[in-house]
Amino acid sequence: MMSFPDLTTFSTASVLTILGMAIVTYGMRLGGLLMADRLPQQGRWAHVLERLPGAVLISVWVPSALSAGAIGIAGAAATVITMIFVRNLFAAMVAGMLLVAAGRYFLG
Amino acid sequence: MSRPQSAPTRHFDADTIRRGAIACLPLLPSTMIFGAVLGVLATQRGLSLGELLFMSLTVFAGSAQFVSVDLWRETIPAATIIVATAVINLRYVLIGASLRPVFRGRPLWVKICGMHMVADENWAVTMTQENLANPGFLLGGGIFLGIVWATGNTIGYLLGGGIPDPNVYALDFAFTAVFAALTVGMWKGRVDLLPWLAAAIGSLIGHYTLPGTWSILAGAGAGVVVAALTWREDMDDTAPEPEIAADTFGAPEGTYSTEAGK
Repeated sequence: MMSFPDLTTFSTASVLTILGMAIVTYGMRLGGLLMADRLPQQGRWAHVLERLPGAVLISVWVPSALSAGAIGIAGAAATVITMIFVRNLFAAMVAGMLLVAAGRYFLG
Repeated sequence: MSRPQSAPTRHFDADTIRRGAIACLPLLPSTMIFGAVLGVLATQRGLSLGELLFMSLTVFAGSAQFVSVDLWRETIPAATIIVATAVINLRYVLIGASLRPVFRGRPLWVKICGMHMVADENWAVTMTQENLANPGFLLGGGIFLGIVWATGNTIGYLLGGGIPDPNVYALDFAFTAVFAALTVGMWKGRVDLLPWLAAAIGSLIGHYTLPGTWSILAGAGAGVVVAALTWREDMDDTAPEPEIAADTFGAPEGTYSTEAGK
């Protein structure tokens, strides 16, 4: 089906689509920061902004842990507990991933 | 290393960039493999390797790229792809907003240069650093992840298959694990409890009722609303932040002001 990998073709349509994706994404990255700069440094909004990273982070991983089933929940718990006691990102990741890999190998 | 306090006074210090890159090292295997999987997908959808790498370095957002490459056809559905990218990447508005302390007191050009290479992973790693006000650290992680991501793309594209299934080695779980672990470092005390619970519940409800990555926005939105509702006047004293964060690194007086970036 494929002859040799197509390395260097740049079609105008592709480049324009990719640029559109890039502008939209970068605009939201920078736009979010510049909007936050306009919020007050103290009071309710500052308090909300300080809670924001934790809320985003939790919303990223909690649904994916749960949708991975019981082994996903156990893996996330192992990761969090290891992090609390060892305070090492790599160790915490390895603990969770080993548990999930072992669980899938032996149970799944 | 002899004077660790002096380095971050520069906007993008080489040593700080290196530390940021090293801090993202645990993400190398999973980022490489998923980059390769995207490379394989791109060969099936008719993107050239050059176009894929161009996308990886200009868009630099994993989940949006997977959806976009999957939608790619001979006649490119450009509008669909760009709208899908916007929806999936809406969370970057929140991620950008939460980076305010990292860029505190920095001029606008630093923000413009520093905000491109921001992925979920190097953002999360940066946000759990003790000395937050460090755009170089964020950029270092971004450059590292960008190189690994593009290398993975190239390997996957050239092999065109035969990439190990990430699920077997639980590499798909690596992203869940890194975000779960980094959440621990973001705990600032009991004020976080209710907003975090709201975020967890909101994201789960979103996950089962809304399509795609809307669950992130649902959870973050719930967390924000609860944080706003639970705020009291006396809470400000619990987190004394310096007016000019750069001062903590011993910046010469007058080098930075909070007005510099406005």
